[in-house]
Amino acid sequence: MSGSFVIDSLAHAVFWVVVGFVFAGAALAVFPRNIVYNVLGLILCLTGVAALFLYLGSFFLALMQLLIYVGAICIAIVFAIMLSRPLHLEVPKRRMPKLAAGIGAAAIFFAAVTAVSWKTAWKPAAERGADWTITTIGHLLLTRYALVFEIISLVLLVAIIGAIVTTGFSRRLSS
Amino acid sequence: MNSLSVYLTIAAVLFSLGLFGVLMRRNLIGMLISIELMLNGANLNFMAFNRFLAPEPAVGQIVALFVMGIAAAEAAIGLSIILALFRRLRSINVERAQRMRG
Amino acid sequence: MMWLAHDPVLTAAFACATLPFLSMAVILIFTRPYQRLSCAISVGAITVCLGSALYLLITLRHAPAPVEYQWAWIISSDMVIPFGFLLDRLSLLMLTIVAVISFLVQVYSIGYMHGDPGFSRYYAFQSLFAWAMMTMVIAPGMLQLYIFWELVGLASYLLIGYYYEKWSASQAGKKAFVMTRLGDIGFFLGIITVLLGFGDLGILHMNHAAQAGDIHPAVVTLGALLIFCGVVGKSAQFPLLTWLPDAMEGPTPVSALLHSATMVAAGVYLMSRIFPFFAASPDAMAVALVIGTITMLLASTMAFVTYDIKQVWAYSTVSQLGFMVMSLAAGGYFAGVFHLTTHAGFKALLFLCSGIFIHEYHTNDMREIGRGGGRKLTIPMICMTVGALALAGIFPFSGFFSKEAILGVLAAHPNKLFLAAGLLGALMTAYYSFRLIFFILFPRETAEPAHHHEEAHGGHGHGDDHGGGHHGHVFWAMAWPVMILATVTLVLGFFQNELQSYLLGLEPAAHGHEAAEHGGHGLGHYLLLVTAVSLAVGGVFFAYLEFGWKKATQEGFLRKFPAVENLFANRWYMDHFYRKALDLCVYCGFTNIFTRNDRRVIDGGIDGICRFTVGGGRAVSFLQSGMLQYNLVLMVAAVGVLVLVFAL
Repeated sequence: MSGSFVIDSLAHAVFWVVVGFVFAGAALAVFPRNIVYNVLGLILCLTGVAALFLYLGSFFLALMQLLIYVGAICIAIVFAIMLSRPLHLEVPKRRMPKLAAGIGAAAIFFAAVTAVSWKTAWKPAAERGADWTITTIGHLLLTRYALVFEIISLVLLVAIIGAIVTTGFSRRLSS
Repeated sequence: MNSLSVYLTIAAVLFSLGLFGVLMRRNLIGMLISIELMLNGANLNFMAFNRFLAPEPAVGQIVALFVMGIAAAEAAIGLSIILALFRRLRSINVERAQRMRG
Repeated sequence: MMWLAHDPVLTAAFACATLPFLSMAVILIFTRPYQRLSCAISVGAITVCLGSALYLLITLRHAPAPVEYQWAWIISSDMVIPFGFLLDRLSLLMLTIVAVISFLVQVYSIGYMHGDPGFSRYYAFQSLFAWAMMTMVIAPGMLQLYIFWELVGLASYLLIGYYYEKWSASQAGKKAFVMTRLGDIGFFLGIITVLLGFGDLGILHMNHAAQAGDIHPAVVTLGALLIFCGVVGKSAQFPLLTWLPDAMEGPTPVSALLHSATMVAAGVYLMSRIFPFFAASPDAMAVALVIGTITMLLASTMAFVTYDIKQVWAYSTVSQLGFMVMSLAAGGYFAGVFHLTTHAGFKALLFLCSGIFIHEYHTNDMREIGRGGGRKLTIPMICMTVGALALAGIFPFSGFFSKEAILGVLAAHPNKLFLAAGLLGALMTAYYSFRLIFFILFPRETAEPAHHHEEAHGGHGHGDDHGGGHHGHVFWAMAWPVMILATVTLVLGFFQNELQSYLLGLEPAAHGHEAAEHGGHGLGHYLLLVTAVSLAVGGVFFAYLEFGWKKATQEGFLRKFPAVENLFANRWYMDHFYRKALDLCVYCGFTNIFTRNDRRVIDGGIDGICRFTVGGGRAVSFLQSGMLQYNLVLMVAAVGVLVLVFAL
């Protein structure tokens, strides 16, 4: 009992530490002017979210989160940063009305979402399965969700081609 | 930690911070980063609902997986657009992209 | 279309009312580049029409009542406006005249217009002209008549301005159109008057009702006067007569058509068409009589001084139309229509003959034609003399009979002044027509070098293509119609009794020469006859003294009165007067007002609306700052507010 309590409370503590990392990472991703800090913050935040996925019982998704987001997207962003001129060399001066408007809009939205999530009486499904295995996910992906899977693949393909075309065309146009 | 609302609140914080970033940042790459934050907030929501409410646990994961795929596509397109814009404007300041000004 | 096959009369009328239009459409749309084909289509159509018209005339010759085919066109409460065909004696006679003249003119044009670049266009417009006139002639209601009346005007505009590259031709076309329109405004108001005052536009109904006194006399008088405005415009009566002499800018066959059977005849036809209606209003008749007289005398004087061969005939047309209007206005229905018939024949003859001369010598000047050897063209010379004799009213040519009939009518009129005017007109007619003939017959080499009117007949530099000898097919295409017309002119007068009994629906009268329906049997009548003929002969003789005789100066007695000559040559300064009036009234008055209206009200209004729109756009364009993020802020805030409002 005590062992499990210790583990429980430890898990609890770790959970909140992870949440703290997530928030810190998110803040770091949004607030600093230096874009490199933003990326580092994003990485921190995404890793935290991966840990949260572990808490939510999906090892597979946590792995995917690390692989796709941290491993691919963040690296791509770093490349983009390296290819472009950093903005802080320009003349960034914050405009107060814009800041206020942004804070206001985000706050309203946050209030709306949290209010909805706290006020709603969430009811679990009557019968809940317990099948969390990757095998099932694979089965479902290739049977029930095969069409969606194909479409996602197609979207990715189009996105890649589009990215190539966009950069290629703009190079031709600007030269 | 074992309540849905906690996760939903975390997700809402992530989403709102991302939203704030999208609304505020002038750096296009910064905006893209913020969008990733928003997507993660949404993903977290999916996973939370999957954990606490859904009848079939595999389905929520699959949806989250799809979101990740879309996010990857979005990042690729977004970055290429940013690069194209950078070539055109020699800047990645979104306030410079004002062709649509009335 | 089955109903057509069962009724040959309707089929024939239908053919007259559609075929030329179809031919025009086909030519304009499909066969413009193929000149021969276009010509064949047009002539074929008019030939069928001619056949139909003759068939109708022969079939319905003894029809006791007018044949009417009517379909309701506009129905509005108790007012019905029909369209269709009205085939009675008058319309059949006129239909035949139109078909015959159009046919002959089109055949003639094969030669005259040979090689013209706009050959197909010419035939298309000819078809349009024939179609409009024929459908107008057989119209059963005033509105249909009016529509085709206007189409006749349109066709004549197109044909007068046929050489549209030539400034004067396009001006003449415009002038003809605008001046006739001026009268047509009156005509249209007249139709409205009749519609409001009587409520029916059927021609026969109008005539019956007016005769029976079912229409209020004021309505009849007002309507008749207004409709007479249309006649004044179309038939070139005073004061709207100056467009007709200018209308000779068109090709000569067009002038022939215009002056004989179609355009100007339309006015007189209209007047005879609703003759009973007119006759019910003595006031309108008096006005018409005076205007006809003035026109007749004025136009004759103008013809004294011009050297343009076509212009002489144009003035003579005006004055003969004046004769017809006089006759109708004096109550001589048959005499007027008879003169219209004979005049159509000999005037077409005269113009077509002049056309041959013009085609041959490329000038409109009678002195140059004479000098160039005009009298060597035997056939046209003889035919033209026949026409001139008919015009002058010499026995036994057709003009003699009809003019006698008119003079008989005038003699019966209580006011003898009109008879005197008519006799004077006869004298003047003989004088000026033979002045022209003698100019061509007896040329003089004058010291003064005449202008070379090479331009006078624009676009006609193809005299060489029949190589010297003028007896090619081109010449014969022109000569045949002329000879046919000359024969008609010779013969037509002797059918006066038949025509009269046909037109008035009487039994063929007993033998005996009847000059006028007002029974001029006695001594007075013969006296009148002798007077008229001797006056005509006197006119011819006078012309011979001045222009034909070997010792004649070929100057004319008017040379001794330069002021009068100027007056005549300038058409009594009517054109100057119109010009002045136009400048004063239209350019300074209306134009100013309209310009101001255009600038201030219309332009200003549009500008104001534009300014308002642009300003409004500017005012709200700050929303479109081009800043992505502001738009996003608005959107997000709106979504948040919506969620807060509706989800909670």
